[in-house]
Amino acid sequence: MSDLTSSLPETSRRPVPSLHRIPGYALWCKADWVLRIALVVGMILVLLTIAAPLISPFDPNDQSLISRLRPPLGFERYKAGFFLGTDELGRDILSRCIYGLRLTFALALAGAVIGLLIGGTLGLLAGLVGGVFEDFVMGAVDAQIAIPFTLIALLILAIFGSSLEIMVLVLGVYGWEQHARIVRGEVRKLTGMPFIEAARAAGAGPVRIALRHILPNVVSPLVVQFTLNFSNIVILESTLSFLGLGVQPPTATLGSMVGIGRDYLPTAPWIVVAPAMMILLLTFAVQILGDWLRDHADVRLRSR
Amino acid sequence: MKKLLATTALVSMLASGAFAAELTVGAANVSSYLDPGRDHSNVGSQFYYNAFDTLIDRNHDTTETEWVPALATEWKLLDPTTMELKLREGVKFHNGEDMTADDVVFSLNRMYQATFTPYQVRARDRLGNFEKAEKVDDYTVRIYAKRAEPLWETLLNLQQVMIIPEEYTKALAGDPKVAEDDDYEAFSLKPVGTGPYKVADFVPGERVVWERFDGFWGEKAPLDKVTVKHMPETASRLTALKTGEADIITNIAPDQLSLIENDPEMKAEGSATALFHVMIMNVNHPVLKDPRIRQALSLSIDRDALNEALWLGKAEVPSTHTLKEFGQLYQPELTTFEYNPEKAKELLKEAGYDGTEITFDTAPSYYTNGLLAAQAIMEMWAEVGIKGKVNVGDKWTGNSPDLMVRNWSNPMYFADPFGCFGVMWAPNGPSESEGRFNTDEDYAKIWEKFRFSGDIELRRAAYAELMERIKQDPPVLPLYRPYESWAMKTNVNWAPKPGHIPYVLDFRAGSISFN
Amino acid sequence: MLSYVLRTLLKMAVTLFIIVTLVFFATRLSGNPVDFVIGEGITQEDRQLLIAYYGLDGSIATQYRKFIASILTGEFGLSFLERRPVADIAAERIWPSLKLLLSTAIFTFALSIPLGIAAAVYRTRFIGSAIMVIAFMGYAVPPFVIATLLVLIFAYTLNWLPVVGDGTALHFIMPTLAMSGMFVAALTRFTRNAMLDVLGQDYMRTARAKGLPERTVILKHGLRNASITILSVVGLQIAGWIAAGSVVIESIFSWPGIGDLLVRSAIMRDYPVLQFGVLMVAVAVICINAAVDIAYAYADPRIRLAKG
Repeated sequence: MSDLTSSLPETSRRPVPSLHRIPGYALWCKADWVLRIALVVGMILVLLTIAAPLISPFDPNDQSLISRLRPPLGFERYKAGFFLGTDELGRDILSRCIYGLRLTFALALAGAVIGLLIGGTLGLLAGLVGGVFEDFVMGAVDAQIAIPFTLIALLILAIFGSSLEIMVLVLGVYGWEQHARIVRGEVRKLTGMPFIEAARAAGAGPVRIALRHILPNVVSPLVVQFTLNFSNIVILESTLSFLGLGVQPPTATLGSMVGIGRDYLPTAPWIVVAPAMMILLLTFAVQILGDWLRDHADVRLRSR
Repeated sequence: MKKLLATTALVSMLASGAFAAELTVGAANVSSYLDPGRDHSNVGSQFYYNAFDTLIDRNHDTTETEWVPALATEWKLLDPTTMELKLREGVKFHNGEDMTADDVVFSLNRMYQATFTPYQVRARDRLGNFEKAEKVDDYTVRIYAKRAEPLWETLLNLQQVMIIPEEYTKALAGDPKVAEDDDYEAFSLKPVGTGPYKVADFVPGERVVWERFDGFWGEKAPLDKVTVKHMPETASRLTALKTGEADIITNIAPDQLSLIENDPEMKAEGSATALFHVMIMNVNHPVLKDPRIRQALSLSIDRDALNEALWLGKAEVPSTHTLKEFGQLYQPELTTFEYNPEKAKELLKEAGYDGTEITFDTAPSYYTNGLLAAQAIMEMWAEVGIKGKVNVGDKWTGNSPDLMVRNWSNPMYFADPFGCFGVMWAPNGPSESEGRFNTDEDYAKIWEKFRFSGDIELRRAAYAELMERIKQDPPVLPLYRPYESWAMKTNVNWAPKPGHIPYVLDFRAGSISFN
Repeated sequence: MLSYVLRTLLKMAVTLFIIVTLVFFATRLSGNPVDFVIGEGITQEDRQLLIAYYGLDGSIATQYRKFIASILTGEFGLSFLERRPVADIAAERIWPSLKLLLSTAIFTFALSIPLGIAAAVYRTRFIGSAIMVIAFMGYAVPPFVIATLLVLIFAYTLNWLPVVGDGTALHFIMPTLAMSGMFVAALTRFTRNAMLDVLGQDYMRTARAKGLPERTVILKHGLRNASITILSVVGLQIAGWIAAGSVVIESIFSWPGIGDLLVRSAIMRDYPVLQFGVLMVAVAVICINAAVDIAYAYADPRIRLAKG
């Protein structure tokens, strides 16, 4: 947002229109229609996630054996109050979708953050320490890139069981190698530069160098990578839950709802369609935003 | 699209001629090996009856016990521990070999005197009383038991003692004159029997193809060829039936029945399977040591509600561990299990239940509706104040000391209470040996009478005593006989026969026809 | 150049070794396959017999030694579930997976290149954005969702397409569509970006100035230059995409492929199959990446012409 209130002497005296004070408004103006839709969808989903306990009509695990497999509003046998229908144990689909969304969001966020922390730290250390340690880390990065992660995740969960802790761990390991690469690349690039030499000569410790010089430069690509990883983790989590290896019943995630619902596809398709649509919207919003970030963050970097 | 239409047209044309028909079955599970001796799984039992015979067969059109000569034409007891059987002449194996007493002795002794681990494991729980089989002449065989056996015919009718060819098997690997482990391993991939169909193609886990065997000793098979294809997804099986990729599909849960009933081109045939889905409890777990707690776990489950909700009321909820297929040993008058939530609450209070979480282990999809039932049971427990938690996993936890409660099945391996309750709950049987069930001298004495009495009344009385013990110190609760269906095109006339063990896909003469 | 190749091969071998060892220990630490393969309803005595039967009765060190020996001699043992050589089982399943991969690749390229070019050329118009949005859908919607919806519509409701196995050409349609979703999206975007980069280049203006028709300009000059970038990126990503999609697709369509085999053997703890399967996939992936690495190195004259 510094563009608008940039410090060119001539314009700094002009009063800033009040609307532009709202963060994001400028973004909105510049955005094309696709991005706008993505922003709106994104905001709605975040709202649902945060306000889940208030918005959700029922407890997601409330069973009602006599109201099993009821269709959504507008169909025969609809049961009042269960707007999107009920599942195989009579639980409300809408409530389960909302809480499922929440759990998916939480897991993806946790995973993406852990990946960022692990990758960023390892990349930083690799770049600063160098030598065998760096070779080792980059070798691990190569190995991780080489092997399809879904397969690894799947094997780990199948072998060690699918508790929530293991899920978070597995999701956390996803994508660390991208972060590591970015940070180490940046460190490598900068270590040769004169001003780093100068800072070192002046007695600055590695931590200070890291924080003051390296970090500002990596924030942008890291954020972009973070967003991309986030959306990939959402898909990964739903895929694992779909296969029955992710979060276990009765807890609902969007992926597991689609997975369990597929037995009922011919008889009760709403069990699948509702969470599937939600996955679609979530990943759509995050992908579009992430992509936009990537395109624009690069430009920013370049124009410095 | 056109190809599908053409195929369907062709099949219907062929189908109208009863002896020129082909059939495709979409099965939820296909075996990884085909050897009747080593197998007692529900998956395997689908496949053996069409290709193999036993010495004595049963009339499968009724649940009454009616023995029928198969590979043996007559049999008599020479003394209480020896039976002599005359073998049918002119029986050929699928590979052209003639069946003689050598083959019978080979097939039986590989189980009675097993050295191959998978046979040993299978024989232990039901063939323990048989010492050996001996050839008297080419068409006469004697079987020796260790003590008087009240269930001769039943135990000679078992899938595990179906007859296989000796020369063929021995020649499969290594020394053709010696039966080695490798021979048996190889047999299970290329099985040969005496049945009306031969196994023309077998891809483990994927496909079984039967073709009519013209040298069959009995009534010719009605179908030319049957292909059983693995279709693990329910939705896929239903779609395959719709598109014509399959003529019959297996393992249809009641939830899908309405779909089939509403479709004029499909119909369903089902029955209450001869097995129980049960809930087992670890009597040795510190939290569950007090039998009153386990009684409460049992009394708080409304099995009729489960039946209504999950099985549309078509499952059968038993009052005791008994099946009507047992004939004279069917004892529905006993009340060992019931629903009484008030009593459950009282018992919990008496026993001083402190709210410790009780875990219920279950596999995700091994038992139809198993996971659903587990979740529903948690709710029922919650209503009497029991804190429960479902623990989903594919691993069998029945032998773990940490096991508290889990689901299981007690199939009817053969039509006698010994073949159902007996196999699993015998002294030193699987349950006791896994450490979750205890028996004592008293139990063993009652067991003796139940297992080996020649007198039906004595056996009934002994079984009633066993059930009373199970009621006082519960290790198990039979939930219901699940109702499972096969769906098929309306022009196919086939239904599972009542006299079979569960899941048999019987395509012998008289079992199937087309409109 | 030679030393580069050797180093790459060495890295390959080490990575493979680590992966296989990890799988070996991970699987054994997590539970005995006897409890998964046969498990219920046997006495403890019999359980011990079965453990010996499967060769699981030595110490872990002994088993590991036997395992390494088996890899080196090529005797990978019998599957626990199926009692026949794992190499046979895996071989049966590799071909269907490859076929599906091939049809996905063909479909993806056939669709994405034109779309990507169009999106680049028409980037300022509605159609440009629309193509990108649709491409996004393919990436955003997980393959299992696409597959499930396809089955619901085309198989169950319309009865147009078959849903089990890989018998006829018709069988390929839905699995290919489901698998291609994310590839189409990504490839369309790469193509578009590569084309955008290229479109602004000077040689393009020269070509236009020469009077060549626009189509020739774009296709002949633009695409040819962009394709190097496209292929290089795609080459590295393919392995990851395969695994992500194939496991799920194979299980939904009962497709007898290697992904489905891996999942089942992991769940059922069929160690020999699992170990061999992972080894095979790892080898394939690493080979592809190594090949790409070497190709790059060859293309880079600094490395190619280096001494030694």
